[in-house]
Amino acid sequence: MTQPTRVPFKVKDLGLAEWGRKEIRLAECEMPGLMSLRRQHAGKKPLAGARIMGSLHMTIQTAVLIETLVDLGADVRWVSCNIFSTQDHAAAAVVVGPNGTAENPKGTPVFAWKGESLEEYWWCTKEALVWPDGKGPTLIVDDGGDATLFVHKTLAWESEGEVPSFDAKNDPEEWGVILDCARAELAAHPGRWSAIAKGIRGVSEETTTGVNRLYQMAKDGSLLLRSTSTTPSPRASSTTSTAAGTRCPTG
Amino acid sequence: MRASDVMLGGKVAVICGYGQVGKGCAQALRGQGARVIVTEIDPICALQAAMEGYQVATLDDVLETADIFVTTTGNCDVIAAEDMARMKDKAIVGNIGHFDNEIDMAGLKAVPGIRRVNIKPQYDEWIFPDGHSVMVLAEGRLLNLGCATGHPSFVMSASFTNQVLAQLELHAKAESFGRNVFILPKRLDEEVARLHLDQLGVKLTTLTPKQAAYLSLPLDGPYKPEQYRY
Repeated sequence: MTQPTRVPFKVKDLGLAEWGRKEIRLAECEMPGLMSLRRQHAGKKPLAGARIMGSLHMTIQTAVLIETLVDLGADVRWVSCNIFSTQDHAAAAVVVGPNGTAENPKGTPVFAWKGESLEEYWWCTKEALVWPDGKGPTLIVDDGGDATLFVHKTLAWESEGEVPSFDAKNDPEEWGVILDCARAELAAHPGRWSAIAKGIRGVSEETTTGVNRLYQMAKDGSLLLRSTSTTPSPRASSTTSTAAGTRCPTG
Repeated sequence: MRASDVMLGGKVAVICGYGQVGKGCAQALRGQGARVIVTEIDPICALQAAMEGYQVATLDDVLETADIFVTTTGNCDVIAAEDMARMKDKAIVGNIGHFDNEIDMAGLKAVPGIRRVNIKPQYDEWIFPDGHSVMVLAEGRLLNLGCATGHPSFVMSASFTNQVLAQLELHAKAESFGRNVFILPKRLDEEVARLHLDQLGVKLTTLTPKQAAYLSLPLDGPYKPEQYRY
């Protein structure tokens, strides 16, 4: 069976990139921590060899994070962790990159747009987790734990040999979407997810909800990934984020 | 509240949960002149809210009288469909917890005879059969990113600098951590904060060696024990 050709990225409109780039340029002036890491590691590429998949609101601020990771040498692919949180001009600017054009994008693959369906959301997550050569990430930047969940579940179901059926009466609608996405993926690529899971060395998690999920998994022994080491952002409980309307890191 | 364009001053806003997110929401709404009421399950957070001057009540007590409801709990089943049925006409309901299970949207959709009128993207009026309605932000998902553009860059810089530091640590030596959850050391946390001081014109005071010895602190940090809560 021939596989349908995969797209290199999927955003709403690359024509929005110039607007996004202007806002990224302004945001860089307001993000001294990230910019100082770029200066500190200039020319050293400490993340060379890292393949980083991110699932974190695709906003202008996240664009500065992505381009910092790239600047430090990582090979990055990105999705939003919420169907409504993408800023389409930010997504376009990241795909085009600082040196590309809408006709000749040279940036980072992003799979995200504002107003995804649940099916599209999980498709985006899956696409960003698989590099063009079929490899997975070595590291994940997660926000809420959806990328981590998808890797864990596909690995578990691949090992068990089947994806459970959907219980429409008791399961939330989104669970059915995850099951369908995983079922199609496991049928099309047997063995892929065990290999991907083996290659993942760690996850950093952005928000309290995701950290709770990870602690639950660590506690009940279901944290399957080899060395899934997580270093959650302490911002949630520190004073440096109280200047915001809410004190949740991204929420 | 860019979505609704309603004036917040003088309105009664109910914040479900007074953790980090609820505290910020309450502060922001109070800053706009809203009268804020908090609901809590945790006696410590409830006491914190009360001592900040917020009324602490149960959702049941305030359903019929409040104008705005925001869930910030990270938990499921916080506002039920029958709760929304009891709210006053055009009450605004939104969630700022990570997932969309705090407000029972499936239950709301399943109310017999209910109608949804989309006002604009991420802003819906749900009209009950008796004619009164509630206004739901971002279909019950993260309202600050669904209806607006999230946090300012400066705040996200602090958070994302930690992300990059975590990725650097993991890339360099993930195997030494094992399968578990780790928190970035306080030393790095202080370093991230330090990187953000200049921009705001902050001048730090430095300890004298005598003062550092008095509190048994290293001169250049970390300044607080691991268990300290800021």
